Amino acid sequence: MDPTIIAIAVFLFTYALIMSERIHRAVAALLGASLLLMLNVVPWENVPDYLDLNTIFLLTGMMIIVNTARKSGLFEYIAIKTAKMAKGSPIKILLLFSFVTALVSSFLDNVTTVLLLTPMLLYVTNLMELDPVPFLLAEIFASNIGGTATLIGDPPNIMIGSAAGLTFNDFLMNMAPIAFIDLLLAFVFIYLFYRKDLKVSSEKEEKLNLILNRMDEKEAIKDLILFEKSVTVIMIVVVLFFIHDKLNIEPAVVAMFGASLLLLWSKESPEEVFEKIEWPALFFFGGLFIVVGGLVQTGVIESIAERIVDYVHTDSQALVLITWFSAFSSAVVDNIPLTATMIPLIKAMGAFFNTRPLWWALSLGACLGGNGTAIGASANVVVIGIAEREKIKISFIDFLKVGMIIMILTVAAGVGILWIRYIGV
Amino acid sequence: MSIFSTIINRRFKHIAGNRYEKILKSYKEFFLTEEEISLPVIKSILMPIDRSVKTVPEEIYDALSACEDAEVTVVYIMSEDACALIRQTLGEEASKEFRLKEEEIGRELLEKIVLSLENSGLKVRTRMFLGNKSEDVIKLSKERDLLVISRIYGSEITKTTSISPIVMKIVQHVNIPVMVY
Repeated sequence: MDPTIIAIAVFLFTYALIMSERIHRAVAALLGASLLLMLNVVPWENVPDYLDLNTIFLLTGMMIIVNTARKSGLFEYIAIKTAKMAKGSPIKILLLFSFVTALVSSFLDNVTTVLLLTPMLLYVTNLMELDPVPFLLAEIFASNIGGTATLIGDPPNIMIGSAAGLTFNDFLMNMAPIAFIDLLLAFVFIYLFYRKDLKVSSEKEEKLNLILNRMDEKEAIKDLILFEKSVTVIMIVVVLFFIHDKLNIEPAVVAMFGASLLLLWSKESPEEVFEKIEWPALFFFGGLFIVVGGLVQTGVIESIAERIVDYVHTDSQALVLITWFSAFSSAVVDNIPLTATMIPLIKAMGAFFNTRPLWWALSLGACLGGNGTAIGASANVVVIGIAEREKIKISFIDFLKVGMIIMILTVAAGVGILWIRYIGV
Repeated sequence: MSIFSTIINRRFKHIAGNRYEKILKSYKEFFLTEEEISLPVIKSILMPIDRSVKTVPEEIYDALSACEDAEVTVVYIMSEDACALIRQTLGEEASKEFRLKEEEIGRELLEKIVLSLENSGLKVRTRMFLGNKSEDVIKLSKERDLLVISRIYGSEITKTTSISPIVMKIVQHVNIPVMVY
């Protein structure tokens, strides 16, 4: 059988399995990868070419740091402190939680961020007898927008950074301003859309204040020494990310250094910490790289790139196409397989276009596209899943009405900024 | 369950596993229960004192000043058992002398505390009587909304506990909120 047809069939089969969620996405990706290896569509000796170790080690390092820091109570501390700072005002709660979610998401993974902040947000809205939906939606959008801002904020950015050799500062210079403007846009939109639901009596504000003041954020710190060590290591890692290009070290090395430093310094049991690494996510990435590698190996990606070039003639057209295609696709399919597929495509388009703005276009579309639908990003699924467990209903349509507008607004703003920067007015 | 809920739950399980339950468990220590959230209405406060209580910290006056329109009953209880013991061992005269001395200390202390409470905008009533330091406080607290008590009320604190045995007994038997200073 023609290896090209096998590669396309396995790719589509894997995508279908991932989308159906009938089996775990990691199993789907591993199954696809092993089929391609068994049928020799991807020769074993070529596996290292497709397996992006930079992405896998960066994710592993950050998972170790986050899981060790989590034990200290650092994130509960942040959540309680944020709630107290809002002083019972619904608008301040919306603003502060959005800002903190975006900030934490820009350095840590979105799922961990929303898992840790949502319980506090629900508790606060419950105390104020407010509809939690606007707050939960704002948290989702902020998490996806915050993740866009940095190299380590969202897996698509890690993959793009690794494939294109983009540095932490490149992302900071190009994507952080867009993320900041998008965060403001999302906040204003949520406020205008739900402003009637954001009003409470002064008695309720006072009641919340009294209750929150009885909570001591310092009590959230389960292990003060580990807390201090975790904060120190996270700061060292962030500083190293800022200068990794000058030191000529890969971001993955920074993350692994931070992880080993924290393990060494904290004396936490490595068995316990390694057990908490999200192995399914890492195997999902590994499998996907090989499945997409099958398309590269058989020349499918190159043919698609040539076809695109037949219709797209300028950098500006390519910028718009990549952004909106990846945004709408990300709203429907997981942005990780989408990015894994788009990366070799953009590389293949490199012979005809300036790829630099195209990488940013992909990052913009892949990260912000997730805001479009309820199943567009992992953070959406986690927050809606938590809401379901707490008997709060957010239907697919409810989400779509707000999410699609936010997605279009934020992506359009991002494209506008990239256009001004790379194409010119 | 709708198709959407099924998909969300399946994906949630794949992405988050059982992490949410673990996080929720760690938050439970901080989230107050419904019972804890309901703030009690404080209209009457009982504040027992005795010769062990030399001063009341300023923070207590500040905290009590938040209970608008509340009436504070400051009671100075002289130990009936101590008087009886002195009477039996040293005679009637010594017992009388002890009681007079106690009353003098009580009056001085009551005056000082009443002044501070009134300056905090609270209505104050005072009582001084011979009685049982723990039983009478437990009895009086039944008609009050809050008990404010010094940790050294009744006797000195021991090496093993940070509150006196009398206060320990009181806090174990009253059914109203207690502020121990």
